[in-house]
Amino acid sequence: MNNWIDLLIILLILSNFVMLGSSRLAVCIRTLAIQGILLGILPLMIDRQDLVLHTTLVSIGALIIKGIVFPWLLFKVLRRIGIRREIEPFVGYVPSLFIGLAGLIVSLYIGSKLDFPAPESVADVIPLSLFSILAGLFLLTTRKKALSMVMGYLVLENGIYAFGSVVLNKVPVIVELGVLLDALVAVFIMGIATYHINREFDHIDVNRLDNLKG
Amino acid sequence: MHNAGHLIWIILVVSVAFGGICRIFRSPRKILSFMCAGVLVVTVPVLTLVVYTFYYGAVSSAGQWFYIDSLSAFHLVVMMLVFCMSTFYGYHYFDEKIDEGIFTTRLARRYGSLWFASLTAMTLVLVSNNLGIMWVGMETTTLVTAFLINLYSNKTAVEAMWKYLIICSVGIAFAFMGTLLVAASAYTLETHVADVLLWTKLVKVGEVLNPALLKTGFVFILVGYGTKAGLAPMHTWLPDAHSQAPAPVSAIFSGFMLNAALYCIMRYISLVDLVSETFSQELLVLFGIGTIIISAAFILSQHDLKRLLAYHSVEHLGIITLGLGLGPAGIFAALFHTLNHSVCKSLGFFCAGRLGQIYGTYDMRQISGSMHLSFLWGGGLMGSLLALIGLAPFALFMSELLIVKAALETDTIWAMVLFLAGSSIVFVGALKHIIPIAWGKPSTDHVCLKSMLTDKVLVLGALALLLMLGLWMPDVLHEILYRAAYIVGGHHN
Repeated sequence: MNNWIDLLIILLILSNFVMLGSSRLAVCIRTLAIQGILLGILPLMIDRQDLVLHTTLVSIGALIIKGIVFPWLLFKVLRRIGIRREIEPFVGYVPSLFIGLAGLIVSLYIGSKLDFPAPESVADVIPLSLFSILAGLFLLTTRKKALSMVMGYLVLENGIYAFGSVVLNKVPVIVELGVLLDALVAVFIMGIATYHINREFDHIDVNRLDNLKG
Repeated sequence: MHNAGHLIWIILVVSVAFGGICRIFRSPRKILSFMCAGVLVVTVPVLTLVVYTFYYGAVSSAGQWFYIDSLSAFHLVVMMLVFCMSTFYGYHYFDEKIDEGIFTTRLARRYGSLWFASLTAMTLVLVSNNLGIMWVGMETTTLVTAFLINLYSNKTAVEAMWKYLIICSVGIAFAFMGTLLVAASAYTLETHVADVLLWTKLVKVGEVLNPALLKTGFVFILVGYGTKAGLAPMHTWLPDAHSQAPAPVSAIFSGFMLNAALYCIMRYISLVDLVSETFSQELLVLFGIGTIIISAAFILSQHDLKRLLAYHSVEHLGIITLGLGLGPAGIFAALFHTLNHSVCKSLGFFCAGRLGQIYGTYDMRQISGSMHLSFLWGGGLMGSLLALIGLAPFALFMSELLIVKAALETDTIWAMVLFLAGSSIVFVGALKHIIPIAWGKPSTDHVCLKSMLTDKVLVLGALALLLMLGLWMPDVLHEILYRAAYIVGGHHN
C-alpha cells in the first residue's frame, strides 16, 4: 500500500516538472489530465474504513472533473485558438526547471518542519502539495499565454486538493463537491474569457493586455 | 425558530428562480422592471429574518449549515440596501443604450440572471455557517460577476475581466487553503463529519484548536479573502474591474462584494482570537494601514473618475480593516463604516455613471462644471466625494472619528498617525479633483439627460441617509452594530 502512495507522489512531482519544462501546450494539457487522474486515485489509497462511500464519491468526482473534463475543455479552447506553443515565457524552460527543483527542496524542508495531523503513511503528500502550489504560482506569474495561466491555476488548485485530501480526515461531501464544481465553472469561464481575449485582440498574450494602468 | 429557518431557503431559491425568469422576457425594459420588482420581493423575507434575529436571537436551518446572527443580519441589511439602490438605478441607466440598440434583449437577459445569481451567491456567503460553503459562495460571486464586468465585450472590459478572474481565483484558492488549515486545527475535535466546518461549533471549542495551524490558516484567509476585498497589495484587479463594469455593477462590487469578502475574514477573526488575542489585531492593523497608504498614493495621480472611486474603495476597505484590528470599539466603528461606505460609494458610482454618459468620458480633465449641466448628478457626485474624503458632518466622518478614538484607546498611536496622514493625502488629492468637476467651466460637448423621479429619490435619499447617520444614530442601529461587533470581537468584548 505504502509503495503505491510513494509511486503516486513521485509521478505527481514529475508531472509538475513536465508542466514547468514543456513549451507545447498540448503536452501540458495531457500532463494535467494525468495529474488529475493520479489525484483522483490518491484519496482511495488513504486507508479510512469508516468513510469508504465518502472517499469514493469524492474520488470519482475528482477523477471525472480533473482527469477528463478539464483537459477536454482546455483542448477545445486550444483548437479554437489554434496556437501550439507558449513562446518565450518570462523565465526560460531550463531556468524554470531549476527553480522548480529549488521549490521542491523548499517544500520538502517546510513539510518536514510543520506538524500536520496527517496519517503517517501519507505524510509525504504534504511536501508534494506545497510543491504543486509553488509550481502553480510560478506558472501563473511567468507564462504569457492566457491558456498557460489557466493551467498554472489548475496546478495550484491540484496542490490544494492534494493537501486537503490528507490533512482533513473529514470534510462533508457536499463541501468537497461544491469546491470541485466551482473549480469546474472557473475553468469553463476562464476558457470563455480566453476566447474573448482572442477575439478582441487576435492573440492571447496576457502581458500585452496593458490598456488599463494606474 | 424552526419556521424562521425556512425563510433562508426561500430567499436562496427565490433569487435563483428570479435569475431564471429574467431569461423569458422579450424586451430589455421588461427585464429591468422585473429586476426592480424581484429585488423588492427578495427584500421582504430578508428583512423579516433580520427583524426576527433582532428580537429572538440567531436563526439556524438545514442542520445548522445555515445560520444568521446579528453579524450576518447586519450585512444582509447592507447587501439588500445596496442591491435595491443599484437595481432601481439600473432601470434608467440603460435608457440610452436600449435606444441605441446596444443593450439588447440578449444582453439584458444575461445581465438580469447574473444579477440575481450574484445576489444569491452573496446571500449564501452571509447565511452559511459552514466555512466550506461560505467559501463556495465567495468563489461563486467571482465567477458570476466576471461577465457582468464584460457586459458589452470590448477590449478594455475583456482585459479587466481577465485580471479579475485570475487574481481573484488565485486569491480565493488561498482562502480555501486557509479554510483547510483552520479545519485541520480542530483535528482533535470529536464530531460528526457534517459538523466539522461549522463556525458555531468551532467558536465554542477554542481550547482544543491547534494554535499554530489556526494562525497559519488565518494568514492564508487574510491574504485570500483580502484579495477579494481589495486589500493592498492584492488590490490590483479592483480599479480595472470597477472602472470597466457598468455603473450599477460597479456599485454592487464596491458597495457590497468587497464587504462580503471582509465579512468572511470577520468570521475567522473571532476564531483566531480564541487562541491569541493580539495575533489578528496586529495583522489587521498592518494590512489596513498599508492599504490606506498605498491607495492614497494612487488617488493623487488618477484621471479617470471611476478609477478614482475604485481607489477610494480600496482606501475605505483599508480603513474598515484597520478598525477591525483595534479592539471592540474599533470593530464597532468598522462595522458602522461598512454601512456608510456602502451607501456613499454606491451613490458615487451612480453619479459617475450618469456623468460619464453626459460627457461621453470618465476623464476628469474633461468633466468640468457638472453642477451646471446636471445639478442632480453633479451635486450627488460632489456630495458623495466630499463624504468619502471624510468631511463632517457626513456619517463617514463619524465612523472614521470613532476609529481614531479606538486607536487612541488601544494605544496604537503609530497607526493613528499613519491613518490620519493617509486620509489627509486623500482629502487634498480628491479635493483637487472635486472642485473643477463641480464648479469648473462647463464643457460644450455633452448630451442632456433627463433625471427621473427614481434617480432623484436615490440621490437625495442616499445623501440624506449619510447626513442623518452622521448627526444621529438610531438606537436600533446602535444595538445591531453593538451585537455584531460583539460577535467579531468574541470573548474579549
